[in-house]
Amino acid sequence: MNLFHFSIQIRILRYCLSRARSYFGFALFICFLGVKADVRANDHYEIVTNLNVSETALTVNSLRSIFSMSLKTWPDGTKIRVFVLSDDDKLHKAVSKEKLNVFPYQLRSTWDRLVFSGTGQAPIRVNSIEEMRDKVINTPGAIGYLWRANIDENVNVLQIK
Amino acid sequence: MKMLTCSRLNSCFVNPFKWIARGIILLFTVGNISVQAQEFPSQKQSELIKPLNKKLQSADLLAQINETEVSRVTEKPGLVSTAMQWLRSTDRPGDLQIHGFVSQAYITTSDNNVFGNSDNGGSFGLTEAGLNASLRPLPRLQLSAQVLSRRAGEGNSGMPRLDYAILDYQLYSHEANQFGIRVGRLKNPFGFYNETRDVAFTRPSILLPQSIYFDRTRNLGLSSDSVQLYGNAAVFDRGTFSTQFGVTLPVVDNRDTESSLLGLVRDGSLNREVSYIGRGIFETNDKRLRLGISGIWLNTSYDPKNPVSSLNPLELGPGGLEFTPVFFSAQYNAERWTLTSEYAIRPFQYNNSFQNPSLNGLHVVGESYYIQGEYRFTPKWEGILRYDALFTDRSDRNGSDWVAQNPERRHGLEHSRFAKDITVGLRWNVTPAFMLRAEYHYVNGTAWLSGLDNPIDLRTRRPFDTDQHWHLFAIQASYRF
Repeated sequence: MNLFHFSIQIRILRYCLSRARSYFGFALFICFLGVKADVRANDHYEIVTNLNVSETALTVNSLRSIFSMSLKTWPDGTKIRVFVLSDDDKLHKAVSKEKLNVFPYQLRSTWDRLVFSGTGQAPIRVNSIEEMRDKVINTPGAIGYLWRANIDENVNVLQIK
Repeated sequence: MKMLTCSRLNSCFVNPFKWIARGIILLFTVGNISVQAQEFPSQKQSELIKPLNKKLQSADLLAQINETEVSRVTEKPGLVSTAMQWLRSTDRPGDLQIHGFVSQAYITTSDNNVFGNSDNGGSFGLTEAGLNASLRPLPRLQLSAQVLSRRAGEGNSGMPRLDYAILDYQLYSHEANQFGIRVGRLKNPFGFYNETRDVAFTRPSILLPQSIYFDRTRNLGLSSDSVQLYGNAAVFDRGTFSTQFGVTLPVVDNRDTESSLLGLVRDGSLNREVSYIGRGIFETNDKRLRLGISGIWLNTSYDPKNPVSSLNPLELGPGGLEFTPVFFSAQYNAERWTLTSEYAIRPFQYNNSFQNPSLNGLHVVGESYYIQGEYRFTPKWEGILRYDALFTDRSDRNGSDWVAQNPERRHGLEHSRFAKDITVGLRWNVTPAFMLRAEYHYVNGTAWLSGLDNPIDLRTRRPFDTDQHWHLFAIQASYRF
C-alpha cells in the first residue's frame, strides 16, 4: 500500500517538475522577447529636426530642457518649435522614458504648470506619425521624433550625447 | 414639500449663473464626445478648418465661440469640435497658443459651509473657468494673459478678472541654463501648486490642502503686480535648480482677505504695499525628486473710512501688518506613485496702531503641513490619500490658551484654532481633456473655514453655527483644451 502511494507521489512530482520546467522555459522566452522588443524600440526611432537647424548633436540635458520647454532658442538664436504625439502614444512613451529619462505624466505636469501660470508654452501636439513628419519638414526650427522607417533626407537626425 | 420644491426651483431660476455654468459644461462634454467620434475623418476635418481659419480673424472667432456658438451648437455638436480643433491647431502667426478650462464641483457637508450653503443638501457653489493666450513675437519674448472666473461661496462671485498678464524676456540661454525677467501681473510662486491652483487638472484633489493653500485668502496669495527675475541652472549634471524672485504689489482689495486678516469685513480698505516673494526648486534630471523652498514677505496696512479722531470703539485704527511665511516642499515621483509633502511656518505681526486690544501688537506664528500619496492604478484611474494639519498658533495647538484669554466670549470655540483633515479621493481621466473626480474629507477643526460662508454674530462675536467634527464629500467634472 505504502509502496503504491510512494510511486504515485513520484509520478506526480515528475509530472509537476516537467510542467514547471516548461513554464520556466516559456517565461524565459517571454522575457527574452521583451528585452528584444525593447532593444528594437530603442534603436528604431530618432530625434529629428527641420533641415534649417544646423545642430547635428545635442546633450541629453539640452534635449530634456527643450522638451521641458525651458530652452526656447537654438544656438543661432532662432525659435525652437517642439512637436509631440499624445501622452499615451507608444513612440512618445519610448522617447520620454528612454531618451529623456522621465515619465510622460511628468512632462505633462511640467507643460501644464507653464501654460496655466503664463510662464511658458506647451509643445504642439500632432495626431499621427505622418503629421509629425509633415510638421518637422515644413516648420522652421522644428524638433520632434520619428520611427526609422519614416525618416528620409527631408529631416535632420540629431545625435544625442 | 410642494413649497420646498417650488422655492428650490425658484432659486434656480433666480440664479441664472448656475444654469449657464451647467450648460457650458454640458456643451463641452458633448463637444468632446463629438471630437472623439469624429476622430477617423480627421484629415477631412482639418481641410475644412483651413479655409475657416483664413476667413476669420482670431478675435472674431473667439468672440463667436463665446457668444453665438454656444447657442448654435445645441443642434450641431460638430461645430464645437471644429472650434476646439481650431483652438488646438497650431498654424497661427507668432506661435499663438490658446488654452482654457472649465470645472464644476458639487460639494456637500455634514456641518459648516464650504463654497456656499453646502450644509443644506449640498451646493454647486464652486465653478472655475479660465481662458489664456500666449504669443512669441520674438524667439526670446513671450506675452501671455489669462482671464479667470471663479464662483466660490460668498468670497468669489464669478466675476471674470485678469489673472495674469506677463511680458517674459529670456536674457540668457545656454543648454539647461536660462536667465530672464518677467513684468506684469504674475502668479505668486510659492509651494508646488499655487501658480496653477485654479486648474483642476493640475491639482491633486478638488480642494487643495487648505492648511497651505487657503482658499479664503486666495486672491491675496494668487497673483500680484510685480517684476520678477528667474533663472534655471544645471547642478553638476544631477539636476536643475530653478529660482524666481519678485518685488510685488499684492492684490488685497477683496472681502475675503479683509475678513481673514482683520476678523470682519470692515468699512475701510487694505492698502497695497511693496512686498517680496521668492522660490527655489531643485529637480533631479529624471524629475523624480523635487525639493523646494519659498518665502513671502507681505506688507499691507489698513485705512479706516472715517478720520481717526471720530472712530468709535468698534472700528479699527490705521494699522499695518506683516505676513512672512516660509514654505518647504518635497516630492518623489515614481512611475505608479507620487509622494508629496509641504510644511509652512506662517508668522503674522500686527503693529500697535489698530487701536484695538485684540489686534494691537498681535504676533501669531501659524504652522501647516500635509503629507499626500497619489497612486496611478492605470493611466486613467488615480487614487489619493492625504493628511493635512493647520494650527493658527503653533504655541497653542488645541486653542485652549486662546479661549482662556477671553473665556466668556470664546468658550467652546477651541476648534476654530486648528483643522486636521483626512482626505481620500479618486480621479478618472475619461479622456486627456475631460476628467471626473470624487473625494471625501473627514475634518476635525474649523480653522480654515471662510468667515463669509460661516458668518459671525456681530453681537456676540461668535460664529452662528460651526461644528468641530465634520464630513465633506465633493465631486467635480473638468474640461480643458
